[in-house]
Amino acid sequence: MRTKRRYILVRVLPYGMAADPKRVYLSVIEAASSLLGDAVVGLAQPAVVFCDGGYAVVRCRRGTEKDIAAALATVTAIGNERAALRTVATSGTIHALRRRMKPIRPQNEAGEAVFGETYFSVYHYPHRKVDLVEKGIKHQKSLFFTEADLEER
Amino acid sequence: MKITDASVHPYPAGDSTLARMALEATELGFDSIVAIGGVGRPSTGLKVLQGVVIDAASQKDILRQVREPAVRRADVVFVNAGDTSFNRAVVAIKEVHVIRNIQATRRNAFDHVAARSAAEHGVGVDLSMAPIIQSRGTKRQKTLERYADILSLQRRYGFPLTISSGARSILDQRSVREVRGLCALFGMTGAEVSEAFASVDLLTEPKQPVRVIR
Repeated sequence: MRTKRRYILVRVLPYGMAADPKRVYLSVIEAASSLLGDAVVGLAQPAVVFCDGGYAVVRCRRGTEKDIAAALATVTAIGNERAALRTVATSGTIHALRRRMKPIRPQNEAGEAVFGETYFSVYHYPHRKVDLVEKGIKHQKSLFFTEADLEER
Repeated sequence: MKITDASVHPYPAGDSTLARMALEATELGFDSIVAIGGVGRPSTGLKVLQGVVIDAASQKDILRQVREPAVRRADVVFVNAGDTSFNRAVVAIKEVHVIRNIQATRRNAFDHVAARSAAEHGVGVDLSMAPIIQSRGTKRQKTLERYADILSLQRRYGFPLTISSGARSILDQRSVREVRGLCALFGMTGAEVSEAFASVDLLTEPKQPVRVIR
């Protein structure tokens, strides 16, 4: 008989991060194994079933969703990039979770800002949020501002 | 009952400004935050309290620092915990609101004497979520063990607890529900978490003694 499952919808932060499902899965497994131990994670059977548009859906066995949600809160990186997974909702079907997904995309073209000698790409998001990503090839620094903060500078 | 994140460290200490952290905290279900450092006042409806952290080696040093204007202006005064005698002395200082960083001290550094004194003087103990979220292995195990010890003392003596994210970035902030899940790891119940979230308000505005007017 097929076991009952629960699906946890999580928002991937920072916005605009192109998260690869496999990397998200590895981060989830690392966080869960570290916090709960291999035995609990083995029984919970967590898996990433969807990852797109700044959201991911994590599947687990019914009854273990609270443990897995606690483990998701301890994810601090995906691959080598700093990230966070914020639990939005838990449901028995993926269909119900899709209704809760509101893709967050930059509102306009990326601008540019300079702090000291560092150049940043500026991305505007809803609620007057502004993310600044350092221009470069790797290990770019990110800053999280609001439009009011940016205007003051 | 207010829900307060007892400490965040905005830009320039972290990578997110106070306004952005306040915006995120509102979305995460908080009513107020205590900002350690940071400049400006956010335009959101969220209440922002100014906090200050005292890192001192002796009681004398704390007494000197609490008289400084920057500390006197702060809404919440935190002191980093130290050894047993230091902690016993700290909880008896009137100007101190919360003792923090308890997970970094030795196991018996905050004992039953300090717990009783903290309850008598209305000094809170801060439980930071940052070591649970960010550390791994034995360091996290020790933190969970220490928090469980503090919780058992709190249940016995009734001193206030505060819960903080210790966030230096919006990526470190967690929702109220997630914090409940993390606190359940060391045996804290939902009601105790709610009480801890509300205790910053009680520490900054303690109840006045009842006056009988005839």
